[in-house]
Amino acid sequence: MIAALGLMFWSGFKEYQRRQQEAAAPHPPQLALVPDGQTPPAAASGSSGDAMPQPQPLKGKPAPAFTLVDLDGKKVSLADYKGKAVLLNFWATWCGPCKLEMPWLVKLRDQYKAQGFEILGIESDNYDTDPKAYASYKAGVVKAANSLGVDYPVLLGGDSISEPYGGLDGLPNSFYVDRNGVVTAQIVGLADRDEIEANIKKAIASGSAPTAAGGQ
Amino acid sequence: MRDLHIAACALLLTAGIGGAQDFSGQKAPESTPGKGMVSYLFPEQVSIPAQKSTDVDLHFRVADGLHINSHTPREKSLIATNLAVAETSALKVTGVEFPAGTDYAFAFEPSNKLSVYTGEFTLKAHLTAPAGNYMLQGLLRYQACDSRSCYPPKTIPVAVNVISK
Repeated sequence: MIAALGLMFWSGFKEYQRRQQEAAAPHPPQLALVPDGQTPPAAASGSSGDAMPQPQPLKGKPAPAFTLVDLDGKKVSLADYKGKAVLLNFWATWCGPCKLEMPWLVKLRDQYKAQGFEILGIESDNYDTDPKAYASYKAGVVKAANSLGVDYPVLLGGDSISEPYGGLDGLPNSFYVDRNGVVTAQIVGLADRDEIEANIKKAIASGSAPTAAGGQ
Repeated sequence: MRDLHIAACALLLTAGIGGAQDFSGQKAPESTPGKGMVSYLFPEQVSIPAQKSTDVDLHFRVADGLHINSHTPREKSLIATNLAVAETSALKVTGVEFPAGTDYAFAFEPSNKLSVYTGEFTLKAHLTAPAGNYMLQGLLRYQACDSRSCYPPKTIPVAVNVISK
């Protein structure tokens, strides 16, 4: 009887020890239920190092065609850049991460321009068509672009093409398009400068023979 | 201790308050209720003394990992958090106090301090109404970012049943 009680006490003590060890051990991140459309906390925290690969729904597909206006009011189409590798960089004046990477883009464009590379900076605000409001919106874009030293074409009204480009929920949102008009990569959020350059090189190298594919 | 300051809220006079979407003054896509980045917590109902200016705290929560600009961002190009309320002939909203923002800097730009709200924050609305039962309706407009991305401005509806007696 005493032996049985001792055994029960001992096994209880060992189980207690096991639970204590388990509690002290590091735990993997717990899954969190997130309502549809809400930003998952893990993605929101933005720790890029061990983040899950981003979905790239347009990768390998033709970049959707569009025509927008530049800061001079001139119509610009993606098709105008047929045969070139193009980075479509969606940004906004209120987006801090966008403004950080834009000076990098200026330098990278200079570096790779001779290889048939171009950047289209597409401001993505949902602007008002009222002339006064539009003038104010445009002035804000011009001011931001100038202060960042942007010398590549800046287009207005990116919000109007957000749907074919997947909603553009987060900015910056960059689409790397090869010479055939096919998206080779999509990066949402601030990217590492080396990652941007690698994607530019990939877009330049890919699709060297222009075809009628895509929006270009 | 939080440093509250008085800020004028946008008061939009409406003959009759229909849905919250009708008085936003925002463009259509923005009027879609924000998808969970910021949520209105409480109260859903308050009692106030009739004909006496009363402060009502409106509680909101910013989702983990996100921040939104405060009511007074430090850069002009940033979009401030604002509350637009529909005022009726009886229920008056004489002002809204926004809390001061807390300092935040993106890891990639540590020297640039932003004024933001994170986690829970509270607005204080000053209400006055004669005896009766009213619906205070408003829209909170905000623009959120996480540590790598920023998201287009959104609005969420705020509705409080105000019982004045």
